[in-house]
Amino acid sequence: MDYLKYVDSDSLLHRLDPRTKFAFFIVMAVVTSLIKSGVALLFLFAFFMVLWCVCGIQKYILILLSKLKVLLMFIFLLWLVLGLTQYPVVEGGPIFYQNSFSFAAGQTITLCFDWYDLYKGAVYALRIFLMISSFYTVLITTNFSDIILGLQKWKVPYAIAFGIGLVFQIIPIIITELQAIMEAQSSRGLEIEQCGWVTKVKNYVTFSLPLLFRVISKGQAISLAMHYYQLDFSVRRTAYKFIKASYYDLFFIIANVMAIVVTVVLRIHFYIPI
Amino acid sequence: MEYNINHISYKYSKDGPLVLDDVSFSIQKGKVTAIVGPSGCGKTTLVEIFSQIIPKLISAGELSGSFDVPEDTFVSVVSQNPENQLFGYGVEDAIAFGMENLGISQQEISERMEYVLDLLNLQYLRKRSVANLSGGQRQSVCIASVLAMDPDVLIMDEPVSSLDPNGKKMVQNILGQLSANMNTVVLVDNNLVWSANIVDHVIGLLDGKVVFDGSRDEFFQNFELQEKLGVIIPQEVEIYRSLSKHFPDIKLFYTMEEAKGQIEALLNGRRGTPSVAGEKKGSAVITVHNLEKTFQDGFHALIDINANIPEGNVVAILGQNGSGKTTFVKHLNGLLKPTAGDVRYRKESILQKTVAQISKNIILVFQHPEHMLFEETVEREMTFCARMQGVPFTEEEILKVLQNYHLEEEKDLFPLNLSMGKKHMLTILSVLFSSADVIVLDEPTLGMDGFLIKDLEELIISLKKSGKTVVMISHEIPLVFKCVDHAIILNRGEKIFEGDKEVLAGKDELFEQININLPPVVVLSKEFKLEHISYNVEDFTEQICQLAAKQGREV
Repeated sequence: MDYLKYVDSDSLLHRLDPRTKFAFFIVMAVVTSLIKSGVALLFLFAFFMVLWCVCGIQKYILILLSKLKVLLMFIFLLWLVLGLTQYPVVEGGPIFYQNSFSFAAGQTITLCFDWYDLYKGAVYALRIFLMISSFYTVLITTNFSDIILGLQKWKVPYAIAFGIGLVFQIIPIIITELQAIMEAQSSRGLEIEQCGWVTKVKNYVTFSLPLLFRVISKGQAISLAMHYYQLDFSVRRTAYKFIKASYYDLFFIIANVMAIVVTVVLRIHFYIPI
Repeated sequence: MEYNINHISYKYSKDGPLVLDDVSFSIQKGKVTAIVGPSGCGKTTLVEIFSQIIPKLISAGELSGSFDVPEDTFVSVVSQNPENQLFGYGVEDAIAFGMENLGISQQEISERMEYVLDLLNLQYLRKRSVANLSGGQRQSVCIASVLAMDPDVLIMDEPVSSLDPNGKKMVQNILGQLSANMNTVVLVDNNLVWSANIVDHVIGLLDGKVVFDGSRDEFFQNFELQEKLGVIIPQEVEIYRSLSKHFPDIKLFYTMEEAKGQIEALLNGRRGTPSVAGEKKGSAVITVHNLEKTFQDGFHALIDINANIPEGNVVAILGQNGSGKTTFVKHLNGLLKPTAGDVRYRKESILQKTVAQISKNIILVFQHPEHMLFEETVEREMTFCARMQGVPFTEEEILKVLQNYHLEEEKDLFPLNLSMGKKHMLTILSVLFSSADVIVLDEPTLGMDGFLIKDLEELIISLKKSGKTVVMISHEIPLVFKCVDHAIILNRGEKIFEGDKEVLAGKDELFEQININLPPVVVLSKEFKLEHISYNVEDFTEQICQLAAKQGREV
């Protein structure tokens, strides 16, 4: 299944004005940066899940989750390990392990593995996941032509908007190219499946050269095509399509505002300092 | 009216060799002009000059002479890879892109959009996304997007080189419509098989010089030049070329109908007596058992495939794009694991092995050579497989192969600097030094000119002689029938035929089902009930000569 690629569909998210979706990402990025309440974040996660299921993109989010699992596990473990030296801020709750260790210089260190370590790890992992998934939700429901139109409506210069749109057009191509190069080299006898991590790193160096040349070659072809189509950023362009907000956008904004209000209320009532 | 190219010479650097040397000719308005010539003859440089890439984007070279066109003449190009040329997610976005750049009003964009979609019969694609189009559809949309900008001259640079037969037919129809509509088209392609009926004027380039400037008929009658330029010509014209050596009064033909008429007149209605071809049996080196492949998105790519690959044979895997050919061969070397079923090499399942382990027995050469090449010299690239597999080789062996396949002079070059056809040949040659006895080639003729295709033919025959099994995916049906012994046809993931070439040649209905034409020599052999079906022009000519001699005709 394709990854990091626009998913063609006709869902609510697909019908939204791209600007509404950009705003959704920005607002959600701010909300998840500021809110550190587990209950509030869980509510937000539930809201996201409803949104994904209503729009039929839940399987693509599951793919994202599988790609992010190492990162999320790392964040979870990192905060868990950092928390081992601290006691819970809030009294009560189970403590799974506690012990003090003395050093030669007479110093002692206390390790305390408790519910609070798990809570902190889970909250930080969830925040990162919600932040990334809000961006991914916009990415897979907004095609690059609409991204360009949306950015232009926000008065972003066409050269920048086009560049951003082009990046989203090219990312899936590069992923496909890398996959093809790996397959081609393993077909010629390069072992990439049953090998240690040192060999794996070496192999990626092997793949990087043909990938670099393919990317350069694609870049050249694209620049020639821009010339064939007389693209000149100093000349004012016209537009065939226009975007405008509809009732779908209004409905989506109302739903999001309500979700954010509930999230903030939950944050106020169920906040555990971390 | 004409667009004149006057004494153009060009070097990419001041000290470099002349890529174009005093090139002069005219492009006639409203006509289709084909520029032909072998790899490296200067065709691409000429396109760059016509489209102003030289000197606007590439300014370091030395250009003399002129491309004399009226002021504001707009030349645009359709390249061989539409995926690199289409900007926009949807078909409408992609077609509108160029017009938006020209600052055309929205109403006029709409009018031009309707015009090109109607002209090229592409209305049914307008709401589709570019990513979901087939190769032929993408190329058609690319032509539409350029045409919508209303260019004075439309250059098409090898527009069908990466397309399947359906895609070629689609672009062929569009070229026909442009010709009927009196658009000025320059076709830069050394393969005239698909465009022979449409081209009006031919320019032949060799080593940067114009060696031919004349009509299509004049070109097709100049056998020596066709060979010298390595132009790939329709098999009908090859038949004409061969027959005309024995029957000087025969008239030039391009189409099957014309060929039938001319040969009918030669034979005066006489028919041969066909013998019945029998099925040959051989032991299988690879067996495929109830192979199923369903991708994550639920697409059934292969459905219950059972097949045997006979040892020491050349086996073709045929079918349109999307029929499951590449998915099938990727199971043979373990790149894909089946959803159900098994693949066995010499009766042993390969499913538990890695791709690198399987490559010691079964090796796959990819369609795009750029995915494979990464060594610093051609010589080192040749030995990549051998080094990976620990197979011994000598310097002499390498040099001999390089000599045999005309790469000796380039042995110290950076492989990615070779022409597309030579890059492809190099990736194929690199597997010669592997231990594999089954070689799988995916579209091996991609980017090759006539010379390289001949080399490839010889290579396949020599591999077969040395006891290796070759599995080949190819849309070049005449080449397939020349080289292969056995074929497997896939259609929408299902196997619809498996058997010897001789049996396949009699299955007209199968070819209709998959919308691929049988080679002209096969069709004509059946039409004139020749003793056996010919798979190459030489054999066909011999049979016709024998039949004509029986008729009392002087040969």
